[in-house]
Amino acid sequence: MSTALETLAARPRAAGRLPHLPLLGGAALWLAGAALTFALPDHNEGLTEIARTHELVVLQAGVGLLLAFAAIGLPWLGRVGRITAHWAPWLALGAAGLAAWELVTAKLGLLPLPFFAPPQGLLEVYLDDWPRLGISLWHSVKLLAWGYVIGAALGVLTGISIGWWQQASYWIHPVLRFIGPLPATAWLPIAFFAFPSSWSASVFLIALATGFPVTILTWSGIASVNKDYYDIARTLGASERFLVLKVAVPAALPHIFVGLFMGLGASFAVLVVAEMLGVKAGLGWYLSWAQGWAAYANMYAALLVMAVMCSSLITLLFRLRDRVLSWQKELVRW
Amino acid sequence: MVTAAARILAPTPAENSGEVEGIRLEVGDVSHAFAFEGKPLPVLNHVSFSAAPGEFVALLGPSGCGKSTLLRLVAGLDHPNTGRVTADGADIGTPDPSRILVFQDPTLYPWRTVEANVSLGLEARGILKAERHRVAQALALVGLSGFESAYPRQLSGGMAQRVALARALVNEPRLLLLDEPLGKLDSLTRITMQGELLKLWQRARFTALLVTHDVEEALFLAERVIVFSDRPARIAADVKVDVPYPRHRGDPRLAELRHHLLHLLGLDETW
Repeated sequence: MSTALETLAARPRAAGRLPHLPLLGGAALWLAGAALTFALPDHNEGLTEIARTHELVVLQAGVGLLLAFAAIGLPWLGRVGRITAHWAPWLALGAAGLAAWELVTAKLGLLPLPFFAPPQGLLEVYLDDWPRLGISLWHSVKLLAWGYVIGAALGVLTGISIGWWQQASYWIHPVLRFIGPLPATAWLPIAFFAFPSSWSASVFLIALATGFPVTILTWSGIASVNKDYYDIARTLGASERFLVLKVAVPAALPHIFVGLFMGLGASFAVLVVAEMLGVKAGLGWYLSWAQGWAAYANMYAALLVMAVMCSSLITLLFRLRDRVLSWQKELVRW
Repeated sequence: MVTAAARILAPTPAENSGEVEGIRLEVGDVSHAFAFEGKPLPVLNHVSFSAAPGEFVALLGPSGCGKSTLLRLVAGLDHPNTGRVTADGADIGTPDPSRILVFQDPTLYPWRTVEANVSLGLEARGILKAERHRVAQALALVGLSGFESAYPRQLSGGMAQRVALARALVNEPRLLLLDEPLGKLDSLTRITMQGELLKLWQRARFTALLVTHDVEEALFLAERVIVFSDRPARIAADVKVDVPYPRHRGDPRLAELRHHLLHLLGLDETW
C-alpha cells in the first residue's frame, strides 16, 4: 500500500489546474446517490415505516461535496489527500453500492422489509440508539481485553515453560494435547455455573480460547530456535535467565505473534457466543436482543460495529508486530 | 579497514591494552564418541596436543573428521568421554568468556543491531554499562565503524563474519576458537579476511585454534599445523610452519609444506 501511495506522491497533480478525476467521479456518484434518495418516493408498504431518509440524503450529499473539495484541493491536503486519492475507486464503488442498496430496499421494495433494512434504517439506529450501542461496544472491548490479555500472557508463559524445561513439558504437554483442541465454547454450560458470574466465566473462556494457540506457537517458536544461538551466548558467559529472556524469547517472537493473531481470532468467536448466551451486555448481547425484538436494522448496525471493532483490533496487533519485528525483512501487511 | 590497519601497524601504548596473556592449552589423550542411531560413533581417538600461550595452531583434516567436536570440548560446551582438556592447567568444565568460539556461520542474532550483537558478551556478564567503549573499539578493529545500527540481514557474508569476530574480540578472549570461520566466504573476501585475522592475532596475542580444511589457509596463518586422520580423528602429523610473518602466498617454502601436507592427507596425486 505504501508503494502505491508513494507513486501517487511521486507525480503530484499540477496545483490548481486539473482536479483529481477518480475523486471527482466518486464525488459525482455520491451526489447522484443523494439525488436519487431525495427524488424517488419511499416504498412505504411494509410493516415498518421508513424514516430518516432526509438524513441519508444529507450524508450522501455531504460525502459527495467533501470528495469534490478533495478532488480540487488535493495538492494542499498532504497525507490525508494522498490516502483519499488512493481509496477513490473504493469510494466510488461505495457510492454505487449504497445507491443500489437504497433502490432495492427503500425505493422499489424488491427485498422485503423489515428483514432487509434500508440504509436509512441503519442510520436511524446510529442516530437514535448510539448510547446503547456505545455501551455495548465498551462492554465487549472490556471483556475481550481481560480475557485476551490474561490468555495471551498465560499462553506465552506456558509456551516458554514447556519449550524450555523438560519437567514442564512432561506435565503440561499431555494436558494441552487433551484439552487444547476442544473448542472453548464447549465449556460454556459448565463455565456459567462453575464461575461466580457469567462475566468471569466469559473471561475464562476467552482466555482459554486465546491461550491455546498462543501456547502452541510460543512453544514451537522456542523449540525452533537455532541451537547455535545458545552456544554463542553460553560461551560469552550468559546465565540461563539471559538465555531465556534475551535469546529464546526474541528468537521465538515471530512465532509468538502468529499465535497472538490466531488467539485474537479465536477470542472474537468466544466473545460473541458468550455474550449471546450468558453475559447481559456487549455487542453479542445487543445482537440477540435485537433479534428478539425483530429489530433487523439494529442487528445490521451492531454487526457493522462489531466488524469495525474486530478489524481495528487485528490492525492494532499487526502494527505492534511491525514495530517489534522491524528487524525482519518481509512481513505480511494487514 | 584503513584506520584499523593503521592502528595495528603503529600501536600506541594506550591501545596496547587490548593485549592479553594467551591461554596454555593442553589436550591430553582425549577420546570422544557420539550416540548415533543407538550406537556409539567414535569421533576422536586418543588425541593429544598442546598450544603454548599466544600460539596460532591450525587443525587440518577432512571435513566431518571431528575437529569441530574438539573445539566444542575446548570451549567447554561438551565434555570428553575420556581424557583431559585443560586451560593453564585447570580442567575445562564450563564455557567461559576467556575462550570464545567463532562458527563457520556468523550466527548473529537477527533481531539485534550490529552494535547490540557485539555487546552480547558484555551484556551477558552484566558489565556493558562500564565497558561500553569496548564495543566501538571492537567494531573499529574489524573495520565496521559506522555500521552500528545496521541489522544482520543488511550485511554481506564477509561483513557479518567481521561482526562475529568483533563479538568475540570485545570480550578480550585469551583463547580464540575458530571453526572454519572463513569457510563460507568467497575466495577474494577470504584472502582479505585471512590477512585481517592475522593482524588481530598479532595485535592481541591470544592463543588461536583454527579448524580448517583449507591447506593454504592453515599454512598462511598458523605457526603449527596439526593434521588429523579421517574419523575417528587421530593426529597424523604435527607440522611446524617455519616461515616468518608477514608471509607471502607464493613463498617456495610454503609450497613445499603444502605438498607435504597434501601428501599427509593422502591427496598427493593432485600435486
